[in-house]
Amino acid sequence: MIKIKNLSYRYPLGTKNVLDHVSLEIQKGTLTLVTGASGTGKSTLLRCINGLVPHFSGGTISGEIQVFGADPIAAGVEAMAQTVGFVFQEPEAQFIFDTVEDEIAFSLENAGIPREEMERRIQDALQIVKLSHLRTKNIAEISGGEQQKVAIASALVTQPMVLLLDEPTSQLDPISADEMLKFILDLKIRLNLTVLISEHRLERLLPYVDFILNMCADRTVIFGTPQEVLPFMEQVPPIVEIAKHFGISPLPLTPVDFPKEDFVQARLNLKKKQLPTVSTQPICLSIEGLSTRLNDHWILKDISLQMARGEILVLIGPNGGGKTTLLRSVLKMIPCSGRVELNGINAENLRFSEIIQEIAYLPQNPNDLLFAASVIDELKITLTNHKQGFEKLDFKDFLKPFGLDKLGDHYPRDLSVGERQRTALAAVTIHNPSIIFLDEPTRGMDYHAKKRLGTLFQQWRQQGKAILLITHDVEFAAILADRVIILEEGQIIFSGAPQIAFTEFPAYQTQTARIFPETGWVTSGDVIPEI
Amino acid sequence: MIHSLVWVFWLLMVMVFILSTRNPIYLGTLLTSLFILGHHLSHTKKIKNWMLPNLRFLLTMIFLSTVINSLFSHVGQEVVFTVPQQWPLIGGKITLEGLVYGALNGLVIGALYILFNIINLALNVKQITRMIPRAFHPIAMSITIALTFFPSIQKRAQEIKEAQMIRGNPMKKISDWLPIFIPLLVTSLENAFLLAESMTARGFHKQTDLRTPKNLISLILGGFAFFSGWVLQLYRYPRAISLVLYAFGAGLILLTLYIAGKSSQVTRYHQERWKPADMIMAFLIALCLFGFIYLKWAHRLHSLNYSPYPHLICPTIQVMGLFFSLLPLIPILGRQHDKN
Repeated sequence: MIKIKNLSYRYPLGTKNVLDHVSLEIQKGTLTLVTGASGTGKSTLLRCINGLVPHFSGGTISGEIQVFGADPIAAGVEAMAQTVGFVFQEPEAQFIFDTVEDEIAFSLENAGIPREEMERRIQDALQIVKLSHLRTKNIAEISGGEQQKVAIASALVTQPMVLLLDEPTSQLDPISADEMLKFILDLKIRLNLTVLISEHRLERLLPYVDFILNMCADRTVIFGTPQEVLPFMEQVPPIVEIAKHFGISPLPLTPVDFPKEDFVQARLNLKKKQLPTVSTQPICLSIEGLSTRLNDHWILKDISLQMARGEILVLIGPNGGGKTTLLRSVLKMIPCSGRVELNGINAENLRFSEIIQEIAYLPQNPNDLLFAASVIDELKITLTNHKQGFEKLDFKDFLKPFGLDKLGDHYPRDLSVGERQRTALAAVTIHNPSIIFLDEPTRGMDYHAKKRLGTLFQQWRQQGKAILLITHDVEFAAILADRVIILEEGQIIFSGAPQIAFTEFPAYQTQTARIFPETGWVTSGDVIPEI
Repeated sequence: MIHSLVWVFWLLMVMVFILSTRNPIYLGTLLTSLFILGHHLSHTKKIKNWMLPNLRFLLTMIFLSTVINSLFSHVGQEVVFTVPQQWPLIGGKITLEGLVYGALNGLVIGALYILFNIINLALNVKQITRMIPRAFHPIAMSITIALTFFPSIQKRAQEIKEAQMIRGNPMKKISDWLPIFIPLLVTSLENAFLLAESMTARGFHKQTDLRTPKNLISLILGGFAFFSGWVLQLYRYPRAISLVLYAFGAGLILLTLYIAGKSSQVTRYHQERWKPADMIMAFLIALCLFGFIYLKWAHRLHSLNYSPYPHLICPTIQVMGLFFSLLPLIPILGRQHDKN
C-alpha cells in the first residue's frame, strides 16, 4: 500500500509549493490515474513515490510517504529502485544502451544481481512485454510502441511492486495507445502490480482505472473512484461531458455503459448530421502521384491530394505511416517523385525560399525552433530570414490571438508547454504564409492548452489559410477537421468527411461516434450545440 | 570469438615490436602479416573493401614521410638532387639516406594505423568499454552514454537544421548556424538531465571511491615507484633496479584498482568466458612478448636497429627477428582452432 500524509514539496528555486498537504492511500494491485492541468504537480507526485523528489531534484519536502513499508524520503532512490519501477514520458530519452537486452540489464547490473539470475530475469521481462524476438535488436530500429514496451520491461525487470508511468501513450497512435493501455492493465492483473499513470487524454484510460487522483490548479487534490471524482472534474472526456450535461448517473465511463436507448429517445432529436459541402475556395496546394523512397523502402506511394484555402485538412494514421515524410516531401526536404503545385505553380519551378514563403511548418518539437532571448525576438528573426521589415509591425497585436501578448519579453524556453508551442507557431507564421503544416501540435498539452490552440486554428481558417494538421488526438481532430485523410503504410486509404472517418474506421472512432452510430455525430458539440 | 583481453595482449605485443624496430624487412614482413590478418577478419565480418583503403593510407604515409623528411633533413652522402639553397626551409641536398629514413618512418606510422584498424575490426566499442576496470565504472558508463548519445545528437541536429531552414534561415553564413547550436545545446542538456534522472531511478549510483586515503596512498606510491624507475634509467643506473621499480609501481596501481573494483557491487551482464584456446593464445603471446623484451634487453636482436645513416647499407636479418614479425598472425591460428 502507498500511504501519503500531509505531503508538501517546493522546488529549489520555487516560490510556491507544487504539492500542498497531499494525503491519500492507494491500495495494492490497483490502477490509479493521476490527472490535472499542466503544472499541477502530477509528475512531481510520481517522483516523490520513488524518491527522485527530493533526492534528485533537491527542494524542500515535508510530510510522510510509505511505499510498501519503505520511506522514499529517508531511503533514497537507489533503495527504492527495487520496489518502484518508473517509465518516463519520452522512452528514447531514457535509454542508455543501444540494444534491447543491455538496456533491460542496466537496473540488474546496478543492483548487483548475479549474471545467471540476470539472464533469467531479462528473459522473463521480455516474455511479459512480448518482445523476446527483439532481444538483441538495436533500440533505434524498433517502433515507438516497442520502445515504450522496452522501457516498461526495464522497469519490471527488478520485479517492483509499484509501476509509475508518466504519460506513456503521448507519442503513440490511437491503436498503439489502446494496445499499450490494455497491456498495462493486463500486467497489473497478472503481476498484482500497483500502477499509477499520469495522463492528459482521459478518454483512453477511464475504462481501466480503479481510482482517479485529480490534481487541481488551487493545489487541492481529489482522490477516489471515477464515480466519486469525475463529477468534480473540469476536464473530462466527451462521454462524461455529455452525460454530465444531461444529468445521467452513474456516469458512463465507456460508450457501452452509456444508457443509449432511453436517453436518445427521450431527450434528443436524433437527426443525422449532414455531410459538409465540398469547399468552393480556390485550391492552394495540389499533390499528384507523389512517391518517396528512403533506404530502399517506399515510404509514400502515389499520394494525390488537394487543399483549398480556408480548409483544415487532418492527416491521421499509425506511427511510421509516412505522415511527416509527406510534409517534408512537399517542402522539398527529401527527394520525391510526382507533381506538387503551389497556388497553381509547379513546385519544380519554385526555389526553396519561395516555397517556405507560402508554407509554414511547425515540427513535432517546438524547441527545435526557439533560441532567441524573447518571444518578440523570435518573430523578428523569422521576418529577417524572409527579408521582411518589422518597423511598423505591432508585435503585441500579432501575439494576441496566440494568447502571448503579455509574454512578448519572456524567454521562450521558460514558458509552459502550451505557451512554447504557441510561440513556435507565432514564429513560423509571422510572415503570413497561406498554408500551415502542423505536426502533432498538441503533444503533451492539457485540455485548456488544446482548446486555445483549436481556437487559433479556427481563426486562421476564417482568414482563408489552409491548414494541414497531423495528429493522433482524434477527439481534437474531430472538433477541427473539414476533411480527413487516413494514411497507412505510405498510402491514402481514406479521404473524405470527418463524419465518415471518425465513425466508420474503428481505430479512429471518437467516443461520441461510438455512442451515437448512424448519426454522423463525432464531437460532444454535435450532441450539445451549446458546448 | 577470441577473448577481448587476448586481443589487448596481442596489440601490446605487436606495438612493442613495431616501436622497437626500423628494419625495413621486418616492418615489411610485419605489414604483410597484418594485411593477411586484416583481410581474414574483414572477410569473416563481411566487411567489403578493407584492404584497399588501408593500403592507400600506408602508401600515402610512406610517400608523405619520405618527401617531408628528405625536404627538411639534408643529412647524407648519396645526393639525389639539390634544391636551390635560397629556397627557404627546404633548400639543400636531397639525399638517398633522407629518403630512406623518411620511408621507414612512414612504414612505422602506417603499421601502427593498420594495427589499430585491425583492433577496431576485432573488437567493438562495447567490448572495449567493458575492459575498463570496475573501479572506473562511471567512466565506462560515460563512454557508453557518449556513444549512444552521438547518433541521437546527429539526428537532432538534422531535425533542428530542417526546422530552421523552413523558417527561412538560409544556412549560408557561420552566424546562420547559431539557431542550430543553441536549441541543440539546450536539448542535449535537457536530454542529459532526463537520462541522469532515468539512471538514478534505475539504481545507478557511485559504486566505488578511489579517493579514500588508503587508495590514494597506494596509487601515489605506485606512481612514484614507476616514475623513479624511469628517472634511474635515464641516469644509467643498473637496469635491474628500474625493472623492479617498474614492476612494483605497475603492480601496486593494478592491485589498488582491482581491490577497489572488487568492493563495487555492480555486476556485468556481458561477461566473456575464457576458453582453453584463449588461454593458450594469451600464454603464447605473453611468452613471445617477454622473450622479445629479454632478447632486446640482452642485445641479442641487433638486426632490429637499422639506420640508413651514416652510410646506406642493406639491413641484416635474424631468424628470431623474422619470427617476431610473423607473430601478428597468431589470432588466425586461434580462429582456426575455434572453427575446428
